[in-house]
Amino acid sequence: MPVSSPSTVERRPTKITKMDDSIDVVQATTGTSDIPSYRPDAKTRRYDRQLRLWASAGQRSLEQARVLLIGCDATGCQALKNLVLPGISHFTILSPQLTSAQDVATNFFLHPDSVGSSIAKESVKYLKELNPSVEGAARLDDPASLLLSDPEFFLSFTLIVASNLEPSTVLQLADLLWDASSTVGGPDIPLIVIRNSGFVGRVEIQLREHSVVDTHPDTTHTLRLDAPFPSLEQHARSLDYSSMDSMEHSHIPWVILLVRAASLWKESHGGLIPQTSEEKTEFKELLKSEKQKGDEENYDEALAQSYRVWSKSEVPWELKQLLEDDTVNNVSVNSKNLHILLHALGRYVSSPPHLPPTAPSLPDMHSSTTSYIALQNLYKTQYQQDLSRFQALLVAVLNNVGLPEDAIPQEEVESFVRNVGGVGVIKGTPLRESREGKGALQDEIANFDEEVDSATCFGMYLALLASERFYATHSRWPGTTPSEDMAKDSREVEDIVKGVVGKQDEFSDILVESIGEVVRGGFSTIPTTAAFLGGVVAQEAIKLVTNQYTPLDNTVIVNLVKSESAKFKF
Amino acid sequence: MTAAVANANGGPSKLTSYLADETRFAHIDKVLDRRGPWTDERFVGGKETKDFLRTQSKILVIGAGGLGCEILQNLALSGFNNIHVIDMDTIDISNLNRQFLFREADVGKSKALCAAEFVMKRVPGVKVTAYHGKIQDHPQSFYAQFNIVVAGLDSISARRWINATLVQMAQEDEENLKPLIDGGFKGQARVILPTVTSCYECSIDMLTPPTAFPICTIANTPRLPEHCIEWASVLEWPKVFKDKKLDTDDPDHIEWLYRQASARAAQFKIEGVTWALTQGVVKNIIPAIASTNAIIAASCCNEALKIATACAPFLNNYMMYVGNDSVYTYTFEHEKRPECPVCGGESLTADVGRDWTLERFIDSLIARQDLQISRPSLSTSRGALYWPSPPDVHEATKPNLEKLLVDLLIEDDGITVLDPALPVSLSITVNFL
Repeated sequence: MPVSSPSTVERRPTKITKMDDSIDVVQATTGTSDIPSYRPDAKTRRYDRQLRLWASAGQRSLEQARVLLIGCDATGCQALKNLVLPGISHFTILSPQLTSAQDVATNFFLHPDSVGSSIAKESVKYLKELNPSVEGAARLDDPASLLLSDPEFFLSFTLIVASNLEPSTVLQLADLLWDASSTVGGPDIPLIVIRNSGFVGRVEIQLREHSVVDTHPDTTHTLRLDAPFPSLEQHARSLDYSSMDSMEHSHIPWVILLVRAASLWKESHGGLIPQTSEEKTEFKELLKSEKQKGDEENYDEALAQSYRVWSKSEVPWELKQLLEDDTVNNVSVNSKNLHILLHALGRYVSSPPHLPPTAPSLPDMHSSTTSYIALQNLYKTQYQQDLSRFQALLVAVLNNVGLPEDAIPQEEVESFVRNVGGVGVIKGTPLRESREGKGALQDEIANFDEEVDSATCFGMYLALLASERFYATHSRWPGTTPSEDMAKDSREVEDIVKGVVGKQDEFSDILVESIGEVVRGGFSTIPTTAAFLGGVVAQEAIKLVTNQYTPLDNTVIVNLVKSESAKFKF
Repeated sequence: MTAAVANANGGPSKLTSYLADETRFAHIDKVLDRRGPWTDERFVGGKETKDFLRTQSKILVIGAGGLGCEILQNLALSGFNNIHVIDMDTIDISNLNRQFLFREADVGKSKALCAAEFVMKRVPGVKVTAYHGKIQDHPQSFYAQFNIVVAGLDSISARRWINATLVQMAQEDEENLKPLIDGGFKGQARVILPTVTSCYECSIDMLTPPTAFPICTIANTPRLPEHCIEWASVLEWPKVFKDKKLDTDDPDHIEWLYRQASARAAQFKIEGVTWALTQGVVKNIIPAIASTNAIIAASCCNEALKIATACAPFLNNYMMYVGNDSVYTYTFEHEKRPECPVCGGESLTADVGRDWTLERFIDSLIARQDLQISRPSLSTSRGALYWPSPPDVHEATKPNLEKLLVDLLIEDDGITVLDPALPVSLSITVNFL
């Protein structure tokens, strides 16, 4: 990041303070004129509010993304809108349909003039207007036929959204993508599947494996108060508190106060940090006794943070799980970069101090500038050393598997090491499994409790699942015929649900009501439900494309009657 | 362009036949013609319900920004045909990544007018009336004409104002109870029934106070790039430019701050001052994207639809969405606060030490999370205790700051507080400890 050169330092424009109010702001910068402007260009300004969320790395990924929407309805187009605006590279809409008046009445990206024309072409036209740098295309084939005639077409996208498609086509598509990802080096294209009926919506994500390079955790610091690296401990121990004046003493950063106190404690306690609550109290009393005056803020901060001394530095549980995964243990020339990096990390933490690399960041704390910067530099230097050690191990791993030493870009290696605490991996399941009602669904059924908050949403999940089976036999959705048949359809869906849950007698009211609401919706697309789901889909798509933040894994039900949602992993 | 296409396809008759075709609403009619398992008793359904929604109801949208654009789209498609929208802002290029009714050529134009025009063009049959200006410039009678008010505002003071106005209207006349649906860009959607449910002011203590850096840190011991930027904007700008106001929308001003902050950072060996960070700190920019806005706006409009038609029970009364880690929503009933200055009946009590000066008392009011005030004027029934303005009253009351509060009040004296952020006056009963 741009930082001015030190030569400008002494030339702050003190003389300008004498100028009058009419001073021109541009002229007033003369005192610092050799600091380059870096004034943002039009594109940076357009994307300013989102760059603050996913930075330029995320934006780059987004700008390479090619998204396919299958099924051109209001929900799908709302999702695309929220992806075109932040600037994906390309979108294609696949639909053979012609626009009807009912489509226009629900979809903002159509106009009464569109009636009778290709719905995909019309929506592409209106969606493209949102962002001149995004490319849009319409393809008018029937999705099911295209899956048979040209499966390669689907594999050319970064991400696919299927909105309210025929259930059998969804499964064919899901199978295609799942199979493609099973071959070594094959594409792992996330599939987002949408189904909505009135106030009820379901979003599902199928992918084999997704890596998150930055979950954006609340804190990224690895302070290591209990297990300081040598230069930190030396620095803390070398300070002579007694020679300091009260100003200096009250500005020692709390990290130093705690590292030093912990180090002294360990010396007299056989190398152990405080264990029992008595010891912890004693530790705090010792710390308090170092105070020279009552109002030393740095000591107040240190006392408030002292719990960090006895919260042991270790490899986080989630990371440990990742390191033990087969794909990480057994790396080969075909392994993904992240797996190789994690493998090298496994080796890294196998030797002392058995901790992940130190992060170069430090929280703000009461301190003088010089003490703070000195401390910050200790962490930065340690990060550099840890990075070097990691890189040496990585080179050895790359050699072992037969890859060149520069197989993983330096930028990726550094970002991995800096962000080890924010790495995550999600393992998916094939959509077909959840459709067949195996495994996790049966567990969920066994644990069903109508008192829990998610009971209604789970009932709606079952209702949607059963409705898809209803569709398979009737070639129409429940609740789509005139109102008199609504109760009949509901009963039939109830019977299918009973078959799935395996309980014929005690059928919860919540299930009956959930089914009733889904059938009442008649698998229609209400504009507000479409907009809500479109927001959810785009949000998750952005996470999948940028590899930032943790995406949905793998099903969410939205119930807009009660304005609630619940997640499930099937 | 649209007109040319229309003619090519057979002219306005296509539009006429579209508008005459009532079956175009088949999707939404599924839930407007039929009752669901949770639908309220008062739901009629069918023609009567749809007539009210499509021809009689009148809805006000406050804000035509990130949430507002989405709200207008959703209301228009849901069948609200008489929509009014107020916004005082003009379009900036940084709006275009989410405020999807605007294009590059619209930069500088009124948000309200531009948004209204776009929606009417895209959804024929809908009438959107735009007001470019402040909500505070409209009298109560203006707000009385609407059935529902939907707010998509980023300004806390504007939300406090409309909330207080609608609560006051409902207190004066039950007939004037207007549901307020409040969308928050941080992920909240809530339904406020003025005087019935908790109001916006009831939850004011849930707002996280803005990060404030102590002046001594900024002046003497900067550690973060933010400290250098605050130094430039809070200390250096007034020193150099005297009374000239810092305009955080003026790139030249930001540039000046950026350069000053960079120089100071270099002097202290602090890394990380950038243009974007400078702008972010001084404008207090909150990141914003289309998808989050879409979810909140959709939820607000879904509630508007349910309130207008009774086709399903509406939200009671608060939903939050958080999208960092998977999809998470939390729906709960926020409770009324009995001592809420806007809708609560009970007066606020403040515990005060006998050794407190008036100044200390004022500082304690400013620090209160449940008040969120910054420049209070205090009076008793006998006159001003301390007013920061106008200058003559300020001069006359300034000496009181040093005095003990216990000496300034007489038995049972209540204190009345006015503040620019406070939409109503506040009565405080002092309890000396």
